Amino acid sequence: MTRPTKASLSRGPRVRRWAPPFAGAAALVALFTFPDWSASMEGSRYASTILRDMLVFAVYALSLDVLIGRAGMPSLGHAAFFGGGAYAAAIAAERLGTDELAVTLGAAVVVAAALALVIGALTVRAAGIFFLMLTLAFAQMAFAIAFQWTDLTGGSNGFAGVRRPVLLGLDLSPPDSIYRLVVVVFGIVALVVWWIARSEYGRALVGVRENERRMRALGYDTTRLKLSAFVLAGSLAGVAGALSAWSFRFVSPNDVGLGTSVTGFVMVLIGGAGTLLGPILGAGLVLYIERVLSSAIPYSQTVLGIVFIVFVLAARQGLVGVAVQVWTRVRR
Amino acid sequence: MSADGAAVAVDGLRRDFGGVRALDGVSFAVAYGERRAIIGPNGAGKTTLFNVLTGELAPSGGRVLLGGQEVTGMRTWRLARRGLARMYQRNELFDPLSARQNVALALGAARGPYHLRPAGERAEVDEADALLERVGLADRARDPARALSHGERRQLELALALAQRPRVLLLDEPTAGMSPAETSAITALIGELERSLTILIVEHDMDVVFRIADRITVLHEGKVIADGGPEEVRGDRLVNEVYLGKVLER
Repeated sequence: MTRPTKASLSRGPRVRRWAPPFAGAAALVALFTFPDWSASMEGSRYASTILRDMLVFAVYALSLDVLIGRAGMPSLGHAAFFGGGAYAAAIAAERLGTDELAVTLGAAVVVAAALALVIGALTVRAAGIFFLMLTLAFAQMAFAIAFQWTDLTGGSNGFAGVRRPVLLGLDLSPPDSIYRLVVVVFGIVALVVWWIARSEYGRALVGVRENERRMRALGYDTTRLKLSAFVLAGSLAGVAGALSAWSFRFVSPNDVGLGTSVTGFVMVLIGGAGTLLGPILGAGLVLYIERVLSSAIPYSQTVLGIVFIVFVLAARQGLVGVAVQVWTRVRR
Repeated sequence: MSADGAAVAVDGLRRDFGGVRALDGVSFAVAYGERRAIIGPNGAGKTTLFNVLTGELAPSGGRVLLGGQEVTGMRTWRLARRGLARMYQRNELFDPLSARQNVALALGAARGPYHLRPAGERAEVDEADALLERVGLADRARDPARALSHGERRQLELALALAQRPRVLLLDEPTAGMSPAETSAITALIGELERSLTILIVEHDMDVVFRIADRITVLHEGKVIADGGPEEVRGDRLVNEVYLGKVLER
C-alpha cells in the first residue's frame, strides 16, 4: 500500500469542503440564466415554467424539512402557512395599493409566521402521530376559513388575477422576471436552510429529534425550541406561498388544503428528509410526474402513488439516501 | 442538618401511581459535597425519587429543595440550568451523533440553542475531547453513539452529565450491565470527581456503594427505613432483613 503524500492529504478535504457550495452556486447561475441560454431551444418557455414551479415547491419542501428532517416534527398541516402566505401576498397587493416586493412578501411572511406561532403554540407539545393529527386539524380549520371568508379570499372560486410584484420600481410581471425572482428567492432560502443545518441551532434541533427527553435533562427548553422551528418553517412556507401566488396568479383554498400538505410530505420523503438536496429533488420529481409525465402517460397520479410506496418500503432515506448508498458501494 | 442548609433535600415527598404509593413521605437532606447512596430492593421507589428530583415526574405531595430553595414541580430544563445533572439508568443518548457531538450538545446547553454560528467551534471541540478523555473515550470521539459498546455508552452518559458542569449529580445505577473491569474503572472515576460536587447514587453493587458513599439512605416500599453512615447501615437489623442480608450473602 502506498502512503498518501502530504499534498494529497491536504487537498482531499479542501476539495470535499468546497465542492458542494461551488456546485450549488454554479447550478444557481445556470438556473438564473436558463431563459437566456435556452432561448433558441424548442420549448424553452415551457421548460422555464416547469422549472419555476419546481423551485417554488422546492422552497416549500425545504421549509417543511426543517420540521420533518431536522427537528423530527412530522407536520401534516404545513399548507396552512403556504396558503396563508399566498393569500397574504395576493390580498396585500390588492388592498394596500402597492406591489412593492418588500411589502407583499413581507405580508406573506408576517401572516405565515403569525399563523405558525398560534398553531405551533397549541401543537408542539404533542409528539409523533398526535402532532401529525393536531397540525392536520388546525390546517383544516385554516382551509375552512379560506373557503368561507369569501369577501377576503374569493371563497371557492379562489383569488384570480394576483398582481405580480415590483422591485424598487422594476416591474417583475414578465414571465422571465418572475422566473428569475423565483430562482433568487429559492437560492436565498436554500442558503438559509443550509446555514441553519450546520449551526448550533440546527444541531439542537437534531438533538430534539433524536432524544427530546435528554435535551430537557441537559437544560434545553425544548418546547420553545420546537416552537421556534415551527415559526421558522412556517415563515419560509409563507415565502413559497407568495412565490406560488405570483407564479400562477391564482390562489385557491386548495393551497391551504390537505392535498398541499400531503404533497409537501411526499416531496420531503421521496427526496430524503434531513438533507439539503433531498427536498429539492423530491419537489422536482413530484412536479415532473404531475406536470410532464401526466401529458405523456395516463394515470400519472397513480405513478406518483407507486413511486411513493416504493420509497417508503424500500428507500426510507429517499433519493439522496439511495445516491449515497450507491456512491459508497461504487467507491469500495 | 436542616433542609435549608443542604445541597439537596426532600421533605415528606409522596408520589402515587393510581393506587400504588411509590414514594410515601420520603425526607432526607444531603450536605454540599456529600456522596449519598440510595439503596433498597427493586420497587423501593429509587428511580421514582430520581424522576421527581429532576422534575420529570411531579410529586403528589411534599417538597424538593435544591441549594435551600424550593424547586418542587419545576421543569426539568430549569432544574438542569440550576446545576442538576443526571446520568440515566437506561442510556439516553443521541444515537446517530458522534460521541463528541453528544458531549458538545451537553456543553452547549448553558448558552442555549439560539446561535447561528457554525456548530463545532474549536474551543468546544477541545472541551468535549477533554471530557471524553476523562471518561476513557478519547479514541471514540468520532464514532456515533450507537456504535459504542454498552460500557462505553455508560461512560458517554457520564461525560454528558459532567459536561453540564453540575453542582448536584444524580447517578442512576452507573455500573449496571458493566463488566468487573469497567465497573472498577467507572467507580474510580466517580471517586475522583471534585469534592465540591454533591452526588446522589442509586446502585445495586454494594462494593461500589461502600467504596463511594459517605452516607446511605435505605428505601423500602417508598419509605426511608434507614439513613446513616455505611457502618451504621450495615449493622442495621431491619436493613439486613429487607435488603442487605440478601444482597451481601449472594
